[in-house]
Amino acid sequence: MIVAAALCPAPPLLIRELTGTDEVVPELRAACLAAAGELSAAAPDVIVIVGAAQQTRTWAEDTLDLSEFAPGVRSAAATDAGATPRAGMAAAPGSAPDLPPPLGIGAWLLTEAGYAGDRILSSVGHDEPAVRCADVGAELPGLRERVALLVMADGSARRTLKAPGYFDERSAGFDASVELAIREGELDALLFIDGELARQLMATGRPAWQVLAGALRGHKVTSEVRYCDAPFGVAYLVASLRIGQAEERRPGWLS
Amino acid sequence: MGKRLAKRPVVSGAAVPGNPESASERGQSLLRLGRRDYAPERLLVMAIVNRTPDSFFRPGDTWDDQAAMERVHQVIAEGADIIDIGGVPAAPGPYVDADEEIRRTAGFIALVRDAYPDVAISVDTWRRPVAGEACAAGADLINDSWGGWDSGLAEVAAEFGAGLVCSHAGGLTPRTRPFRPSYVDVVADVVAHTQKLAARAIEVGVDPSRIVIDAAHDFGKNTWHSLAITRRLSELTATGWPVLVSASNKDFIGETLNVPLPDRLVGTLATTAVCAWLGARIFRAHHVVETRQALDMVSAIRGETRPARAVRGLA
Repeated sequence: MIVAAALCPAPPLLIRELTGTDEVVPELRAACLAAAGELSAAAPDVIVIVGAAQQTRTWAEDTLDLSEFAPGVRSAAATDAGATPRAGMAAAPGSAPDLPPPLGIGAWLLTEAGYAGDRILSSVGHDEPAVRCADVGAELPGLRERVALLVMADGSARRTLKAPGYFDERSAGFDASVELAIREGELDALLFIDGELARQLMATGRPAWQVLAGALRGHKVTSEVRYCDAPFGVAYLVASLRIGQAEERRPGWLS
Repeated sequence: MGKRLAKRPVVSGAAVPGNPESASERGQSLLRLGRRDYAPERLLVMAIVNRTPDSFFRPGDTWDDQAAMERVHQVIAEGADIIDIGGVPAAPGPYVDADEEIRRTAGFIALVRDAYPDVAISVDTWRRPVAGEACAAGADLINDSWGGWDSGLAEVAAEFGAGLVCSHAGGLTPRTRPFRPSYVDVVADVVAHTQKLAARAIEVGVDPSRIVIDAAHDFGKNTWHSLAITRRLSELTATGWPVLVSASNKDFIGETLNVPLPDRLVGTLATTAVCAWLGARIFRAHHVVETRQALDMVSAIRGETRPARAVRGLA
């Protein structure tokens, strides 16, 4: 049963050590940590971290090798004499080089938020169609008695002239419709996102949104949007989702 | 014409710890550009002359033919060894097709060649047809910063007896920005890719003494990656290929020092000096006077050139 879900973006700059002296996005980081904290507070048996990647699979490792983004970066933990690297983050090579960054960043968020329980890292392929993503999602509630979901997903990276993907005038509208679906708890709407358009708009989170939709099919969902902005031309949306009972007709009830 | 500094032999053995490796110890050899040969110790300035209305630094300054030629006169007087002429900005923006790019560059290259028969001219392009027209007009070197995206450049270089810059851009499509690039080892990736391009160039007939490699700071790399390739530049120079560094006013400098575009000269010169110390030989620059001075300082510190005028303490 899904007891709680959260949506966070997955830019590497979420990880404080990667932004240098300047914090860069303290509000975004705080919103993500609050969302991760709420998942932990729901006392799940496991938190499943979901993110788009090259393949659809689960991952045994959860430690992101920061040196792939920042060769030579000093992690805060590493400066303490004798400190072991914190789970979710490593500054040394030897950690799984193939771990998809969205999952590693999600793992880092959970650890930062104080979660020490079980986690499952699940990636879904960039090109997986909606139906397949929904199927992946449908498997998740049955994994344990109490399952929480941390969905790491980004909207369009083409929001501004300075964006990594430059500017595409279709991006704002696309992201707004995703935001609306999340705000209204109308997650099924996510299953109808045009995958090709999402790809053109560099909205890399599309498969992960659809896993979320599949996992919560039939449930009433209310959302608290904690952050919604594109300060660097990439759409970041942070939301905490509260899950109502599955809507089903019991025999004998009058409709 | 620019002043040519007299050279003298290295006086102290480079085996002393702390002394820089000599160029020959690094396996560096003669570099041919156009009609000139450059010994390994020579540090060369490649002056940027953009034939664009919208390049990132002082956009439009040399868009007009006359203004562009004034700039060429100026930089040659300031000591530039190579004039680098480009028609398309590296950043995304209004589309410039190959024909327009040729229109912006080939004719101007011919003018420069006419005015200066001996100066080395490079064409800043990733496109084969543009490189072809540019070399026909007199360009000596194809300066590709996009990692050989159009593999036909090597053939053009071979056809015209021109040189080729073999660069690393992390697989980016030209005029796109890096989006969360990650590398297990960015320097190893750079070395492998540039070596591969260089080997291929030789296979198709490019003169090995006209091949240059460029790690291409910020191309497909974030600030940390660009700092790492700078820090470990000796791994590139150890390949034996002459190394070109194009760091002038780039964003990795802006992000390191937290300074906007007009205020990056100091950071650029620091980077230039470090790269020169670590063995780079060609420095692509907006600011020729300052770059020339920084390089002359490094050469003198290394003992490869003598001071311009020594009197103090000797009188």
